[in-house]
Amino acid sequence: MESERLSRRLKAVVGERYAFTDPYEVRLYQYDASPETALPDAVVIPGSAEEVAQVARICAEEGVPIVARSGASSLCGGTVPVEGGVVITFARMDHILEIDLENLRAVVEPGVVNLALSQVLRPRGFYYVPDPSSQGACTIGGNVGTNAGGPHTLLYGVTVNHVTGLEVALTTGELLQLGPGKASELSGYDLTGLLCGSEGTMAIVTKIWVRLTPVPPVSKTLLAVFDDVTTASNAVSTVIASGILPAAIEMMDHLSIQAVEAASHAGYPLDAGAVLLLEVDGIAEVAGDVARRMAECCRAEGAREVRLARDEAERQALWKGRKGAFSAMGRLSPDFYVMDGVVPRTRLPATLDAIGKISERTGFKICNVFHAGDGNLHPLVLFDGFKEGEYEQVLRIGDEILKLCADQGGSITGEHGIGLEKRENIRYVFSDQDLSVMDQVRRVFDPGLRMNPGKVFPAAGGEAKPAVRMPAGKTTGRAGPGDEIWV
Amino acid sequence: MKAQVSRVLPGQEIGVDEQRELAVDGLTPARVMRPQSPQELAEGLQALSATSAAAVVHGGDTQIGLGSRPARYDVALSTTRLSRLLEHEPADLTCRAEAGMRVGDLQAILRAHGQRVPLDPPRPEKATLGGMVAANSSGLSRARYGGVRDWVIGIAVAYPNGVIARAGGKVVKNVAGYDLMKLHTGALGTLGVIVELNFKVQTTPEADDTMLGHFDQRGDALAAGRWLARQYLAPAAITVLDREVLQECGLTADWRWTLAIRLEGYRREVEIARDQAAAAVRDHAGRVESEPAPAPARFWESVRDWTLGQDEAVLLYATTSLSGLSPVIDVAGSDSRVMAEPASGTAYVRVAPGAAVGLLDRMRGAVKGSGQVVVRRAPTASKDELDIFGPPPPGFALMRELKRTLDPNAILNPGRFVGGI
Repeated sequence: MESERLSRRLKAVVGERYAFTDPYEVRLYQYDASPETALPDAVVIPGSAEEVAQVARICAEEGVPIVARSGASSLCGGTVPVEGGVVITFARMDHILEIDLENLRAVVEPGVVNLALSQVLRPRGFYYVPDPSSQGACTIGGNVGTNAGGPHTLLYGVTVNHVTGLEVALTTGELLQLGPGKASELSGYDLTGLLCGSEGTMAIVTKIWVRLTPVPPVSKTLLAVFDDVTTASNAVSTVIASGILPAAIEMMDHLSIQAVEAASHAGYPLDAGAVLLLEVDGIAEVAGDVARRMAECCRAEGAREVRLARDEAERQALWKGRKGAFSAMGRLSPDFYVMDGVVPRTRLPATLDAIGKISERTGFKICNVFHAGDGNLHPLVLFDGFKEGEYEQVLRIGDEILKLCADQGGSITGEHGIGLEKRENIRYVFSDQDLSVMDQVRRVFDPGLRMNPGKVFPAAGGEAKPAVRMPAGKTTGRAGPGDEIWV
Repeated sequence: MKAQVSRVLPGQEIGVDEQRELAVDGLTPARVMRPQSPQELAEGLQALSATSAAAVVHGGDTQIGLGSRPARYDVALSTTRLSRLLEHEPADLTCRAEAGMRVGDLQAILRAHGQRVPLDPPRPEKATLGGMVAANSSGLSRARYGGVRDWVIGIAVAYPNGVIARAGGKVVKNVAGYDLMKLHTGALGTLGVIVELNFKVQTTPEADDTMLGHFDQRGDALAAGRWLARQYLAPAAITVLDREVLQECGLTADWRWTLAIRLEGYRREVEIARDQAAAAVRDHAGRVESEPAPAPARFWESVRDWTLGQDEAVLLYATTSLSGLSPVIDVAGSDSRVMAEPASGTAYVRVAPGAAVGLLDRMRGAVKGSGQVVVRRAPTASKDELDIFGPPPPGFALMRELKRTLDPNAILNPGRFVGGI
């Protein structure tokens, strides 16, 4: 009865066609790119910010949770409606509203796909810098929710460094335009910055002002081949210490290379212990020289081969291999579990070594494909979800690796977010007091705790992580060659 | 029983001289707290909160005049004894320091390793890290490298309930928990007192250079600067100075408008960027000064410190879109001194107190809602007649609620921030 009223009210806002509650229809919205699932009570596809605001108010009045979702490429269950309620999806709010090159800004709706924005801008000499590997599917709204990163954050920073304003809907039904937008600063608390990375727990973003950056005239990409991850890690430190400012430094270990090369045929050497993909942006007169200096650093640390991508096609092939690394894992294993730990760069060798020991001890293969320049690790634990007990074991390995990163002075997530998956692990990096301040801040925006509930914060009372079981026969999260999963 | 309610304020009593030294906008404190540890500071805040005594937080006091007149001021709370560098692993390109550390002291340590935080607030020998963050004082290179909000990766804050809570961390990429670093950046210490900060650091570029161009028309100088700001080899700093400001910054040239450009990067990049900048000046009807700028480092320090204003003048600060800046400065008369940053759409206008109210109104009118004009500094006597921040920003109800939540007794810099927060 109550759910009928909710449905009726939602339909009155967005139209009959764009609100549905039929269990069959809402099934599509029970999952993202993480293993967890939960069914929403209703799904709405609003066509405007005003509709989003009205939906938010209705949810508050009806006392139901509200979960914003668009590309649903979250790897941590960020968009899984664990407490049911209404999922708002932004498939219809996917317009680039304004491109203002004179002022170096674009204004977009949250459903705009990350890559689509840069594709429109590049012919005009500009781009939107943050480039998560999922950029062909993830949206700018989702990027704001998780404060997404990508390979090029090393030089250019993450999403929040490129967002200057937000329009948001509050649970009160209010629409607010926050931040300086086209200006560079505005007095008052920086709510725009605060909301970036808040994982939909405070407000729903309906419009985004992003900073545009001139496209580098030249990008030079090097492939450096090493016998093991330790020498590759040392090369990363040497490059950084040499005064070079690389745009990206990515690492793949032996096991990852097998999968990536089989899938991409980009030319990654199968017998390498580790490879680094190093990129430098610049003007033609300088980039080649800097690339040579990076190559020297790698050779000095024992790289057995350093190769400069000959042309744009080879460069793109190398990056396609790297960005498609997760999908390629399907060639090695029916399932994998990905983590997103960060350690200080200098702790990379010790951390990778410890992860290797965990792999040896538990018998689970662990691949490492990651943003080495940032110290942002993505260990992938390979397993078979159909084997009794493997998934539970893998979750425990995940906890152990995150604890390891935290103990090295790092973090439990560099770009994927806390979501559902790491809400208990957040205690590895924050005390009760730290979390209590964050909780107070959240309640200013969402006193009823209806915005994406069950995320970011540990379960009340500190009970153990709920045992999430992968449903039998579940295919998402299992990456076959045809599936697309990114990191 | 009732007698015990009489307030005993925390902190040490101070004499008249020290009171005068710690005065803010004509208000003087009765006591001072100079905690030697974050814990001591947090306990002090708790004691203040228990007595509802109001504190003004002091760092290096370089920007202590920022904001409206305090509504109340009982105790001065100085962070300058929290001055230790806690961590710096050069290869990690990060560092961690207590909030009372002088900006210049941190930069000197980093410089020894060929590194820096590319933030350059005025008077770094006095300014503290915490003050720089609380005042959101980034310096002249914000357009190229980003501002304070882009370089702070971790924070520890003491709150009025006596809790010290952290956010962020010491790694450069981190999305665990809320980004409370942003909340405290530019908050003028109204939500809590920053006790510790973690920064991303940068390798200092290999080369730098300074180029000066001069123009008859301000609009041409601004247009050249705007054009440069949109190039891949954008300068590290671009400022437009009127003749008097130029002279105050130590250059005696008789140029109506000067476009001062600082270039940084790899050596060859800087050479090419210099040619590009020279072409931009000429294309916009300007003349390139052929002589290299004398003592460029000193000159840039003077320009940077000019943005602090003067005791007896009012300093207005406009932030707009890049293309919206010209009309806002245009309403300033010849009795105003102007320093503009066309790459970030910001400008400082210094004016005599008598003309400030009128000019502020005209500039706010010219901004037309797509930016703002605030008073960065004003003599105490002028403060009450000037609306320091203008109308409260969008989301003000949330801001007020954040303040109520984190500082329920309004003990931290009460009345100084936007909308009377």
